[in-house]
Amino acid sequence: MNIEYYIVLSIALFCIGIAGVLTRRNAIIIFMCIELMLNAVNLLLVAFSKMHHLKGVAANPNAGIDGQLFVFFIMVVAAAEVSVGLAIIVMMYRNVHSVDVNFLNRLKH
Amino acid sequence: MNGLQFEALLPYTLLAAASLVVILLIAFRLSHTVIQITGFILMCAVMVALLQASALLPVAIYPIFQIDGFALLFTGLLVLCVMVVGLFSFIYFEEREENPKEYYILLFLGTLGAAVLSISSHFISLFIGLELLSVSLYALIAYLRNRNNAVEAGIKYLVLAAISSAFLLFGMAMIYMETGSMEFATIAKKLQTSNGHSILFITGTGMMVVAIGFKLALAPFHLWAADVYEGAPTPVTAFIATASKIGVFAVLLRFFQTIGLSNYPMVITVFLVLAVASMIIGNLLALRQQNLKRLLAYSSIAHFGYLLVAFLPGNAAGVQVAVFYLLSYSITLLIAFGVITLLSSREQDTGDLALFRGLFWKKPVTAAVLTLALLSLAGIPLTGGFLAKFFVLATGAQQQLWFPVTVLVITSVIGLYYYLRVISTLFGEAVPTPVKKTLHPFFYLTTYTSLIVMVVLLCWLGTFPNDVIEYINRQLLIR
Repeated sequence: MNIEYYIVLSIALFCIGIAGVLTRRNAIIIFMCIELMLNAVNLLLVAFSKMHHLKGVAANPNAGIDGQLFVFFIMVVAAAEVSVGLAIIVMMYRNVHSVDVNFLNRLKH
Repeated sequence: MNGLQFEALLPYTLLAAASLVVILLIAFRLSHTVIQITGFILMCAVMVALLQASALLPVAIYPIFQIDGFALLFTGLLVLCVMVVGLFSFIYFEEREENPKEYYILLFLGTLGAAVLSISSHFISLFIGLELLSVSLYALIAYLRNRNNAVEAGIKYLVLAAISSAFLLFGMAMIYMETGSMEFATIAKKLQTSNGHSILFITGTGMMVVAIGFKLALAPFHLWAADVYEGAPTPVTAFIATASKIGVFAVLLRFFQTIGLSNYPMVITVFLVLAVASMIIGNLLALRQQNLKRLLAYSSIAHFGYLLVAFLPGNAAGVQVAVFYLLSYSITLLIAFGVITLLSSREQDTGDLALFRGLFWKKPVTAAVLTLALLSLAGIPLTGGFLAKFFVLATGAQQQLWFPVTVLVITSVIGLYYYLRVISTLFGEAVPTPVKKTLHPFFYLTTYTSLIVMVVLLCWLGTFPNDVIEYINRQLLIR
């Protein structure tokens, strides 16, 4: 398949993620949108990896492998990020009894 | 990997081991004091390992790490900052938290992340280092969980940092698409052979600049800085202001130099705009602040604007000046945050300027130390801050970057106003404050000693900079 399709799909997913982060007020949904952005990048990297592999496989059987490798790192880091993030959201819920980010307005001068 | 590579990597292995050691100490239920002292000794060990490793350099662990004199300088700077932050942390957390120990695990992990950034020469190591740093910072910022503001600052940083790393990844993917490689040197080679001005490459670099700008709190991406600086515990604020920014700046410099981005006029223009905007916005917004922590946040935005002026030339002189600038900047900020840590009460951090009124009449030494730090930030002669700013100006003028240099001079004058305002508050009429519970004097002694040592260092940098500059030059030649 043409590489442009993958690029367009990833950009669309990435933009949906950004729009979600900017408009939603619920901390958990904001988190889901961030995951969406990261997964858009994963899709893009896998597509590019395949593309570079097909292009360079004759010269080097491992061509394009680092793109796929990177995806694993991103998945691990995203999981770590979410676990810390959810812990912070739980603390927020204990303090203000809500996960609405509009309640986070005390630091302002 | 061979023996030489292991030996060169030893400082970083020790940093990683430091957090494991702290975990074990906690498992054996040892006291906060023991952990604090062990942490300090471990950081000293890292410094010794760095000095040992400097004889072996440069060593490349292909393709992800490149350990050279440049990396060594930045790692040394980072470890020094963390040593001081660790010293300040004891008195701060001992009286506030029932669980102050896990803090050190996170602190050392964050340092490891920043150190990995300084040696990374591949997108994977860049990303892992950056995320090690950020994930530890999320938890560190929200560490005092019973304070509403800490959690608020934590969530703000978390959401924005996560978005910025998504941008970084997207930018990396674009550059990967264009060049088929993730290693800096290979990318540079590919770009030379192909037409480097393609849209994909420029878009990718732009998206990476967004993420880097966020981490360094450069002007259009600075909105988190003041809130996070205010809400985070003061030692953590000091860590964000120094170690995290030094690490990110190190990788920015390496990427910029290896790729030779100074050949792209577009990229230069982007950084020029960022620098000018940071200088103007940072200094103007600092004028109205009533809280010292927020004021320092805006001042550090402005300072990274100044630093970018030295960074723009993209040659060896620029790097040397940048290292000197970061050294004097981090000493100064550590002094300022150290004073805030010392004065903070159990309930809240002493950020409000009203609380500093008449400090000189109550605690003359502390007030004098803070005054000196502020004078250095303002760039008054005989302090390190003056020479650092002077070198930046000189590099800018040599490269005939007249516009940013002019902005630098004008905004420095504006900056002088708010620093002097704080200093005049220190000498105002004193208001009585309640006496607070005191800890074991040993820890106050170490904190005061480190403050005094840093002040001496700052003045030494401001009067006899030659030794330091020669050392920096010698290290930068190892590559």
